[in-house]
Amino acid sequence: MRNLLAVYHKELLSYFRTPIAYFVVAVFLLGTGYFFLYNVFNQGSANLDTTLQSMGVLLVTLSPFISMRLFAAEYSGRTMELLTTLPLLPWQVVLGKFLGAVTIFLLMTLGSMINIVPLYLYGNPEMSTIFAGYLGFFLLGLACLAVGQFFSVLTQNQIVAALITVAVLLAFWFIGHVRAFMPPGALQEIVGYLSFALHYGGFIQGLVRSEAIAFYLLVCAVALTLNANYLQWRR
Amino acid sequence: MSAAIALESASKRYGSKTIIHDVSFSVEKGEIVGFLGPNGAGKTTTMRMIAGFTTASSGTVRVAGYDMATQNDEAARRLGYLPEQPPLYDVLHVSQYLAFVAKVRGVAKADIPREIERVGNACRLEAVMTREIYKLSKGYRQRVGLAQALLGDPEVLLLDEPTAGLDPGQIQETREVIRAFGERHAVLLSTHILPEVTMICRRVAIISNGRLLAVDSPANLQKASEQTNRVVLQANAPAEALTAALRDVDGVTEVRATPISGGSVLHVECQVDARDGIEAAIARTVAARWDLHRLERMQPTLENVFLNYVSARGAAA
Repeated sequence: MRNLLAVYHKELLSYFRTPIAYFVVAVFLLGTGYFFLYNVFNQGSANLDTTLQSMGVLLVTLSPFISMRLFAAEYSGRTMELLTTLPLLPWQVVLGKFLGAVTIFLLMTLGSMINIVPLYLYGNPEMSTIFAGYLGFFLLGLACLAVGQFFSVLTQNQIVAALITVAVLLAFWFIGHVRAFMPPGALQEIVGYLSFALHYGGFIQGLVRSEAIAFYLLVCAVALTLNANYLQWRR
Repeated sequence: MSAAIALESASKRYGSKTIIHDVSFSVEKGEIVGFLGPNGAGKTTTMRMIAGFTTASSGTVRVAGYDMATQNDEAARRLGYLPEQPPLYDVLHVSQYLAFVAKVRGVAKADIPREIERVGNACRLEAVMTREIYKLSKGYRQRVGLAQALLGDPEVLLLDEPTAGLDPGQIQETREVIRAFGERHAVLLSTHILPEVTMICRRVAIISNGRLLAVDSPANLQKASEQTNRVVLQANAPAEALTAALRDVDGVTEVRATPISGGSVLHVECQVDARDGIEAAIARTVAARWDLHRLERMQPTLENVFLNYVSARGAAA
């Protein structure tokens, strides 16, 4: 635990001492603010569901820029040699880094919650729906960061890590649309189950389904386990 | 009491290419062993196997008695390692970086500030403790890397070219740090600076093309060298008489005399055994009957020894 916290602390320090995390958070909050204003004033809807939908796409495209440095920077900074020879177990490194990225993501999420204030002042929003939406947003973020962290361990180049992650996440985001071209059946079901967007859509409408929670947590678990195994195997 | 570092026919293969062939040697507690070899000889790969960055393809590597293949974690707790390029987190302050490593090495929380101060003083980092690492000069970076390796007073210290990038004064200081550390612990340091080996190492391991050529004391390696035992002289004398006289000197094993550019002056090379004062005996013998112009006992550097070892094996292979 102590080792995990040491890695976590180091990751947080690194995030706050490099500009990228600030840029990502700033772009995300700007985008979120724009979508919120657009929905509230142009569409006149005093709720967060369309905003949360846009926030999901924004998260899928921006979170890879949070996760990209996690391992790629260790390779290019030649610090992997230190990290592997210190008395650290692979899962301690993987989880410590993951929690560091999740912390930045949480700050970003908290920042976007300021949108709830005007909703309350000028309308009567349904709190449970908003809560469900944010739960979905949080789980989606965890899955995106875990996937991004895995691709970061595969390359020395942060940009490559980010771009591969964006491509993969967007594919899983839009895969649900493929269903329209498929005959009904098991395959169609599976494609639907793999879609990041379909599970997320349920949360936005206020549906907290254990199936959807399990899906995102499963994605995290698979990505992080692969990540730790890769570190072990690399030796 | 097992050796602090022990390699038993350790090999490293990448695919069908063998980088390290059956290397065996050990480093005891309280000794500094130099690891010498040309670029690409396998020094860094061997260091990495000992450090646990890569695993040996066959054979065993033990650190502080723990097998690196199965008890990596236990061994890692007892190991300080400075890779060829110091592994530094550029955006962190020196003290933050050292605190991270100290924590992971298992230094008790209350002791961390004292421990950072200790290694900081040893490596002369007092002035840069609160600076970002990316702002440091090469010499400072190297010393931050060394300080990192010393944290937690590990039983075994692996240093891959620890004095690279330092100026002469810093090299001197760094050697003192290593020497002091080596009195109580086991140190393996790779270097291409030969005087360094003679100065601080008790034994030297020579590696070339992934094979260990010799492990011996620097002094013994010098004795083993052919060139150690050579006296070169120039004298104005008849070749046959001089050669015969020199062969009679006790300790001279071989004499080769060649005339210098047509004159009567001879250039003579004598192979001698390793005893002291033989050059004086030769000088007396020659000067008693002829004109002695010049006499020199070849004082070989470890470099010559090293090149001898490497080229001898290269020719045999």
